[in-house]
Amino acid sequence: MLTTAREQERKARQDRRFVSKETQTAAKYLRRIRELSGAPDGFDTFIDTLGRVYVDMKGADVPQGQKTIGTYCVMVPQELVYAAGAVPVKLCSGNYTAFSVGDDIAPRDACPLVKAVAGFRQTGLMPVYEDCSMMVVPITCDCKKKIAGMLGDRCEVVTMHIPAERGDDEIDRFTEQLYDLTARLEDVTGNRVTYSSLAEGFRRVGRAQYELSEFIRLKKQLPCLIRGTHAMTIMNAAAYMTADKWSEALHRVNSDLRKRAESKKTVTGRKLPRILLTGSPIVFPNMKIPLLIEEMGGIVAGDETCMGERGMYDPPVITDESFDGMMRSLANRSLRPCPCPTFADNSQRIYRLKQLIADNQIQGVIYHVLRGCLVYDFEYRLIEEELGRLGIPVIRLESDYNEEDVEQLRIRIEAFIELIKLGQAPEKRTAPRTGF
Amino acid sequence: MKSRRKLIVTILVCGGLAALAYFSWMLPFYEFDVNDYDVSFEKLFSAEYLRTLVPLFIIAALSAVGIVLVVKLRKQMVKSDRRYSRFADAHTSKQSGRAPKQKPALFMIVRRTVMVVSAVVLIWGGLIFGLKMSSLSLPLLSCPWNSEEMTASSCYYLSHLNELFQLPIKKILLFVGSTAASVILLGRAVCGFICPMGLIQDVMDRLRRRTKTEGIAANEKLYAALTPIKWTLVLVFAGLCFAGGNFCNFCPMVSVSPILAGISTSLYVSGFLMIFVLIGSFFKRRLFCSVCPVGYMVGLFHKVSLFRVKKDCTACTECGACYEACPMGIKQIYTERGKADVTDANCIMCGECVRCCPEDNALSLTFAGAKIYSSSRKKLMSGCEPAEKVRR
Repeated sequence: MLTTAREQERKARQDRRFVSKETQTAAKYLRRIRELSGAPDGFDTFIDTLGRVYVDMKGADVPQGQKTIGTYCVMVPQELVYAAGAVPVKLCSGNYTAFSVGDDIAPRDACPLVKAVAGFRQTGLMPVYEDCSMMVVPITCDCKKKIAGMLGDRCEVVTMHIPAERGDDEIDRFTEQLYDLTARLEDVTGNRVTYSSLAEGFRRVGRAQYELSEFIRLKKQLPCLIRGTHAMTIMNAAAYMTADKWSEALHRVNSDLRKRAESKKTVTGRKLPRILLTGSPIVFPNMKIPLLIEEMGGIVAGDETCMGERGMYDPPVITDESFDGMMRSLANRSLRPCPCPTFADNSQRIYRLKQLIADNQIQGVIYHVLRGCLVYDFEYRLIEEELGRLGIPVIRLESDYNEEDVEQLRIRIEAFIELIKLGQAPEKRTAPRTGF
Repeated sequence: MKSRRKLIVTILVCGGLAALAYFSWMLPFYEFDVNDYDVSFEKLFSAEYLRTLVPLFIIAALSAVGIVLVVKLRKQMVKSDRRYSRFADAHTSKQSGRAPKQKPALFMIVRRTVMVVSAVVLIWGGLIFGLKMSSLSLPLLSCPWNSEEMTASSCYYLSHLNELFQLPIKKILLFVGSTAASVILLGRAVCGFICPMGLIQDVMDRLRRRTKTEGIAANEKLYAALTPIKWTLVLVFAGLCFAGGNFCNFCPMVSVSPILAGISTSLYVSGFLMIFVLIGSFFKRRLFCSVCPVGYMVGLFHKVSLFRVKKDCTACTECGACYEACPMGIKQIYTERGKADVTDANCIMCGECVRCCPEDNALSLTFAGAKIYSSSRKKLMSGCEPAEKVRR
């Protein structure tokens, strides 16, 4: 009895320490994001959302009576979750504190994202995780597969098999999986997915995607109208907001950016080195790399990461207005355009990168690899080769979910930015600063 | 073993089709007492016209019955399936919701208008405007039994090559010249813009979409199965006249165009085939176009036609929306990663791929080098646009 009381006390102390550390880190990163100049109007909504989840430790802002469904990959169609009358939250984690807890549970070589998820599961303190009625885990890599098993003892878990190819048969099979997922969602929420509710789900997510494509179009302008870190924060906040609220908030940001474009009020007058960030997912609060880039005088002009713009970029295209046709369009959208390295042949990612480089006039690419994220690490060589042919400098930054490597990253990023600046014509560097 | 069975089935089906074509005159669908080839404007508004339309009504009724049967049967199958049974009710058309739909593009409006106008002209044109261009031929499947066509369609002499060479030299030159000119100028755009058979199939497809019935999704296996049928039809189309048959007794279009023009002509196998075409094109968009012998012949010359489909291979995300949308199941349009010109022998220039492409300018239709229709994300997402306008 005594030991249990003591153990309970210890556990409570550990929990308190976890909460205070977790909230401190999150608050620090939010502050650093806030301190960056040039945040657009309406940006606070996104900061508040992240603050609510990570600093105030509250659940996602979900309408009364609706259940939340945790998703661990962008390949889970949000449309289906909305159609079942629930709200999806993205649970891929970037939390340093949870990572340090998960480090003891997961094997050494597991990726930090999965370790952080394992840490949250272990402590059971994070409301966003605890509120979920069900979790959907697409098996995109071995770590995801094992974490799906670990999560299973706390919560109902649905795994989704992600094929290695994207042929017709794979699409058919994935459509079947989506039907199975829909059935599970119906069981959990108690609502039926009908033609009307699915169409409504399409409309809600479509509205968000419409705003996103506007946002991306505005972001392409040079000099930049918005900082990449702000853009990535907006995309990260989408994980914990309903599509309606998010698109409404993004609409405000877009109209502010439009005003900026009209009045030629750019975020930085100087031509900062424009950097494309790609590779493993960058999840709040693990924002150290984009923050470092922008604090070191670069600008994240493009991001190709799945918690970033890629996650919601591709719209489902309905070519057959039946229920089955809509399900198929979701399967098609999830697999075919997805440049995720989980697919055996992923050459389309190179084209996507080339297009982003051309659209945003990228001068350098930073390839982010989370330690242990094998599939992304595998693709680095190919991308380095291809971009080398275009004359675009690339560096590979490996990082973990802690702040020990920050100084190292800072030196490398600074050197990289200097390298790009050296390549620029000198008069461009010294142009007078306007705007902010 | 499996491929062998497949081969046998294919040979049997193709042989059956060929035999059906050869003996088509023995299988009457609907016979008039007297075939009446006289037409006039007055006849179109008389009771007699209704009598000539009788076979068409029969075809329509039988097709409707067939479609309803297929839908019912499929619903029964869905209900007994473990996975899909719970969604059987989600399929019903009674649901009031509508999937977000993009605003119609100008190109699509033009295409549909051209199709309707050309169908009217090709069926009643002679009655309305007089037969002024009847010495010109277009490679269409609009029936030349109908003497009131505005322009002749090349299908008659292409399927009766022995008769072509008995014509006076001037007529042969006109026929070859006008056909070749349209092949080069338009290519298979005639299928997507002018052919009345295409219009009928598009109408069926529209009906399906309106009723929210599910169709047959793009599938390589389906097209692989259709290819031998297409070749059989091409052989039958070009060779039947030499074997002593008449393709016109077999061609499904005979059962529509002449009858609508007021010509009472007895129908043979063509009537049965038309039912298949209607049911097939209800579930699979432009099913007949995939096996159409005239279209195939025009498609052979796709390298020289002025209509082209161009692709910006870097902008493409390989999302496959174009492939899902393509009524002809052209896969290389999304897998192609090198060439800018993705015009295929099967492409009918319907523009569906461009309409469904989410990437700006990734796909475009060009005529003689000028872009006439380009893909745009904004257009694609226009169904999801916020209702209120942006306040400035």
